[in-house]
Amino acid sequence: MGYFELALIAAVVIGAASGLVGTIVVLRKRVFFAQALTHATFPGAVAAALLGISIPLGAALASIVIVGIMALIGRVRRQGTQVAAGIVLTAGFALGAVLQALHPGVPIEIESFLVGSILSVSTSDVVLASVVLLVTVLALLVFGKELVFQTFDRRGFAAAGYRESPMELLALVLITATVVTSMPAVGAILAIALIAAPAAAARVVAPSPRWMFVIAPVIGAASGIIGVVLSRVADVAAGPTIALVAAGFFLLALLVRRMPRIGWRTGVEAA
Amino acid sequence: MTGGEQAAMAGGVTDASAPVLSLRDAAFSYGGAPAIHGVSVDVHAGEAVALIGPNGSGKSTLLKGLLGLIPVTAGRFEAFGAVRSGLTSRQADAAARLSRRDIGYLPQSDELDPEFPITLEQVVMMGRYRALGFFRWPGRADRAAVTDALVTVGLSHRAKARFGELSGGQQQRGLLARALASGPRLLLLDEPFNGLDQANRDALVETLRLLKTRGVAVIVSTHDLELARDVCDIVLLLNAEQVACGRTADVLTLPNVQAAFGEVGVEVDEHTLVVPGHEGH
Repeated sequence: MGYFELALIAAVVIGAASGLVGTIVVLRKRVFFAQALTHATFPGAVAAALLGISIPLGAALASIVIVGIMALIGRVRRQGTQVAAGIVLTAGFALGAVLQALHPGVPIEIESFLVGSILSVSTSDVVLASVVLLVTVLALLVFGKELVFQTFDRRGFAAAGYRESPMELLALVLITATVVTSMPAVGAILAIALIAAPAAAARVVAPSPRWMFVIAPVIGAASGIIGVVLSRVADVAAGPTIALVAAGFFLLALLVRRMPRIGWRTGVEAA
Repeated sequence: MTGGEQAAMAGGVTDASAPVLSLRDAAFSYGGAPAIHGVSVDVHAGEAVALIGPNGSGKSTLLKGLLGLIPVTAGRFEAFGAVRSGLTSRQADAAARLSRRDIGYLPQSDELDPEFPITLEQVVMMGRYRALGFFRWPGRADRAAVTDALVTVGLSHRAKARFGELSGGQQQRGLLARALASGPRLLLLDEPFNGLDQANRDALVETLRLLKTRGVAVIVSTHDLELARDVCDIVLLLNAEQVACGRTADVLTLPNVQAAFGEVGVEVDEHTLVVPGHEGH
């Protein structure tokens, strides 16, 4: 299989997984949290490269530490989770940059960390992303309705006899796993584009969370394929093209939502 | 199926005369000093109890205690024939979780995301999830239960409406329908009449009356003394402790209400006890 075909498969798998997890992120209003997570995994990736262990594993371990730190900062009086995410985003990324500067031989460039390189993903990257996609689909099939219930109404969820913490943990694990496995292909900044834009577009047009879980991965996968193909045709970087296509889908969704309203209004005025 | 039939099928309380809920000198605490203490009351199927007291008197605390969200720290507490007091925290947690399947709870009107892409009937369906369990998705019986709950609260015509587009009163009734969809034997309502217009208030009163006839026990916290007289069989007056408890006509007397709300501000006319500052609630 050639690098382009592999990139197309990676685009579909990562786009679909990002759409599914993005639905959780968007419904829970945790886009900034996810962005902080992507940037703050940088020192873990650099440290893993220095130690000669798996870079995704290093990023995943870093994400566990980061989530713990964010939880602690979030508990500081008069500080909110947004503040925690802001501090961790910048501090984590800065730590990674310093580590990388101190060890110039380390095989991780800041630019590739930020925007990735989908045309150079390995088969193991794609396999790992596919496993995460499969686990995400299964988790949503088993716990999806409860996850939506808890996202919509935490108090009602607890009052119905459920524990909140397993759902929190599930959301966190799915978000982290998707972020970590998509970063080699699309990088930290573009991972957020794929997580936020397809789910936000789905939210605009979907009548229910269940439909969001269907529409968002389709938009995510379509953004990936169209982005990779367009980048080859126009000879531009694949990652940014994917992000722009995803943003384009969001604009399209806004237009689609407005169209019936325009038609209805026109009809009323004509009558 | 009525609440009484469901109660019979569920097992639990086999003796029809046995109370659904029984408290004896019970205290509930968030940790530290009790937030509410000295509560003694029996609630039977088809009975409605009004929790009345000033703001901060422990009404919401008591409801959360009954729900098992905060622990009972003294006295005796039984729900559906099972003892819930004197347990380790792990046992109490497990017992509370079990009994919540038979309890419908309507919290004080909450800040739910008005943009959340969900319809009223989808919100009501959430009331069926606990019985469904993980991995199973709603079937015909669940949809029928949702329809029945929406009819009960008078909102079947708004089933497909986006939840965030409903008025505050309709959202409140929608959440009540969600609580009803689980087929509860006991319904706990925390200030359900706050901010309701007259139409929604009347609809809610009718729903409560209907539920009583179906054998559902209802406990409602409210400032609305008129509502207590109209709908409730028992009144529990609170002010960090139980001030009085008994049949509505016996308890809603001027001395009792003054003891709960303080001397200042209680007026009496021929028919109604009015607590200034709470009339609009």
